[in-house]
Amino acid sequence: MSVPRLQFEGISKVFPAVRALSDVSFSVGAGEIHGLLGENGAGKSTLLRILSGVYRPTAGSVLIDGRPVALNNPVAARAAGVAMIHQELQQVPHLSVAQNMFLGHPLTRGGIFVARREQERRAAEALAALDPTIDPAVPLGSLKVAQRQIVEIARALLDRARVVAMDEPTSSLTPSEFERLAEVIAGLARDGVAVVYVSHKLDEVFGICQRATIMRDGVVVGSVDLAQMSEKAVVSMMVGRELAQEQHRSHISSEVRLSVRGLASATKVRNVSFDLHRGEVLGIAGLVGSGRTELLRLLAGADRASSGRVEIDGKAIKLANPRDAIAAGIGLVPEERKREGIVPLRSISSNMALASMGVFAPRGVIDHTRLKRVAAEKMKRVNLRPFLLDRPIRLFSGGNQQKAIIGRWLAAGTRILLFDEPTRGIDIGAKAEIYHLIEELAAEGHSVVVVSSELPEVIRLADRVLVMRDGTVAAELDRADLSEQAIAAHAIPQSETQGRQGARPSGQQGITDRTSG
Amino acid sequence: MTDVTEHTAARPRAEFLHRFSLRDAGTLIGLVVILAVFGALVPGFFAERNLINILQQSSINACLALGMTLVIISGGIDLSVGPTAALSAVISASMLVAGVPFPLAIAAGFAIGLVCGLLNGVLVAYVGLQPFIVTLGTLSTYRALALIYTGGNPVLGLPAGFRAIFNGSLFGLPLAVIIVAVVALIAWIILKKTPFGEYLLAVGGNEEAAYIAGVPIARTKIAAYMISGLLAALAAQILIGRLGAAEPILGNLWELDAIAAAAIGGASLMGGKGSVVGTILGAVILGTMRNGLTLMNVQSFYQLLATGLIILAAMLIDRVTRGRG
Repeated sequence: MSVPRLQFEGISKVFPAVRALSDVSFSVGAGEIHGLLGENGAGKSTLLRILSGVYRPTAGSVLIDGRPVALNNPVAARAAGVAMIHQELQQVPHLSVAQNMFLGHPLTRGGIFVARREQERRAAEALAALDPTIDPAVPLGSLKVAQRQIVEIARALLDRARVVAMDEPTSSLTPSEFERLAEVIAGLARDGVAVVYVSHKLDEVFGICQRATIMRDGVVVGSVDLAQMSEKAVVSMMVGRELAQEQHRSHISSEVRLSVRGLASATKVRNVSFDLHRGEVLGIAGLVGSGRTELLRLLAGADRASSGRVEIDGKAIKLANPRDAIAAGIGLVPEERKREGIVPLRSISSNMALASMGVFAPRGVIDHTRLKRVAAEKMKRVNLRPFLLDRPIRLFSGGNQQKAIIGRWLAAGTRILLFDEPTRGIDIGAKAEIYHLIEELAAEGHSVVVVSSELPEVIRLADRVLVMRDGTVAAELDRADLSEQAIAAHAIPQSETQGRQGARPSGQQGITDRTSG
Repeated sequence: MTDVTEHTAARPRAEFLHRFSLRDAGTLIGLVVILAVFGALVPGFFAERNLINILQQSSINACLALGMTLVIISGGIDLSVGPTAALSAVISASMLVAGVPFPLAIAAGFAIGLVCGLLNGVLVAYVGLQPFIVTLGTLSTYRALALIYTGGNPVLGLPAGFRAIFNGSLFGLPLAVIIVAVVALIAWIILKKTPFGEYLLAVGGNEEAAYIAGVPIARTKIAAYMISGLLAALAAQILIGRLGAAEPILGNLWELDAIAAAAIGGASLMGGKGSVVGTILGAVILGTMRNGLTLMNVQSFYQLLATGLIILAAMLIDRVTRGRG
């Protein structure tokens, strides 16, 4: 057998207080798409940072085509043929596509002037094979995320990368965009590139990777041939134990808590009406851009509605800002936790207390004893780990940050919880905990709305599902009628199926297609 | 394959539990080192008289820097504190000269400070302009108003009774020092013990998240700028009490010293982080440097150099001890 394109040999990385990696070894052949799996904190990101020259290993070496390479900094890593495609794309939106592709080493005329035309020509060449619709002269910021990712890959092609590492490349892509990306990755592999593919989405990894290395707590648990493994076996390797398959349990009551009529916003949401019951988990499905997030933001008071009526327990409420929503008992657990959820430098306690300061400071001065007690109680309730309430929240995993945000609403006495993509970027183990928590909240009489792109998640949690399309509710599906196919049939814009109005998929009873009625 | 080494990584617990007070301890060590150096080089540096002098010389900057700290924590900056002080000073002074009762004249000065801060805050919070540009604009505007109001001339001849208020002393300490100490205590309580303090830290730390959590963003920011304006006005009263006159050009470059004291004390210009104790220590460090170097007869050019180097050194030590991200 020939020399593998990429080899990790006994890589260890020790930070002042933590051993992040110990003795990590595995190899990836030329033309292989190799999955790298593990929970948050397993060491995947640290390993990728070593590969891309951001960190230096404490011990061990990286070999490319059998030769050890010194990856002392990102420039050296790039020169050694390693291209890194980040989860959060590291690009400059105001510069053109071509400028971004040549960022850091522009083509020049005589070493002084940037050869713009030449850059654009070469960029177009590289893009032609991937997505010829991308114009290299337009500002990068005008492209969609999926296209930007293609640009990053084109840049890797320009650099003649021999190793391409991708960190969660599909976290914000639609299914069709993912298929396009999968083709591009397969193309890279055909050209002999070794691809290291990190993703939380196991079905994707099983779909496009041949082999995968599974990490846990900084060590390699094993490198496996995916054709001979079940997803379940891989998951138990990742978490180190068997995860029980959970059944849906319903706690819905007949009492209507939230009633929404004709809600619309200036931009995305049009004429949305629905009821939410006490103890109900209502799923909202739909494609990215169908108005799901915007609907939640209207209900949370984060954006203003242009028309419509929202009632809680039969009384109309005003939703001019989040304070109104919170006072009415509505709380939003946002999709982008880092941007909209947490205050990173503040402790778990402070983050939890932020929405209920009035409760903790009835006479203007915060009662820290009481705050500590409530924080301990709520964080025990959501099973925060490690249980360090004074530690800055940014040092916790995504799952635990999410638990703290849920705790925030529990402390504020919220009765209606709105979750936007509740398990995005969260480990499989923590995911199960969040599901449990959502069900327990419903059982206690909370009303819950869950927006999710992951259909299995919606089906697992929801008592009832609204499918959104073009900013409005296209269909309402009861628990008995839930299936991925039924949701997808209503989520896809009608122009792509059969004309504008009244496309009702036949053979699915109990589904009301609202756009026709 | 199932045999996985379970290494229980030592949690860096203590390090984070006392993160902020650790930073303050660092600033305190810096102050102690500087005191020790001057103590060794300058005879009589540790005399009670001189130490009180240092506190008195630091008090005005400390007063401004406390307001600046709150604004910086909220993610903003207030470049207009010097001209705010000047406008407050000339208006109070001309009222005093005209025979208006002291409390009324002082209250008018404070009101000017509050209005200046309110304007800054409204432009930042409601109009959505960048704090740097807003307060750069009001820096010129407020200064111009002070100059226009006085025709560029100082207001002289403040009544002795007024001067006595701010020049008095209590328990052997100048009243100015005691006033600023009380202000610092209040600022500390605000930051550590009140919802407003939590809101400041949240707004500066992540405005979007604070908004979703129901924090009143605009009110919080405006309050920070108004406090900054009020403290600039207080500094102005202390100064004109000491000098017996109010010049429209008073407070030139005060904003820079105030920002320096806050930064040395650990405030992050990115927002979301800062300490009242640190800021006070920062102001005293700057005051000590000036006092010590003057006693050593060091030329003012070199004093400026030393101040610059202290700021840079503080930031470098901050960077190195905090490590990456």
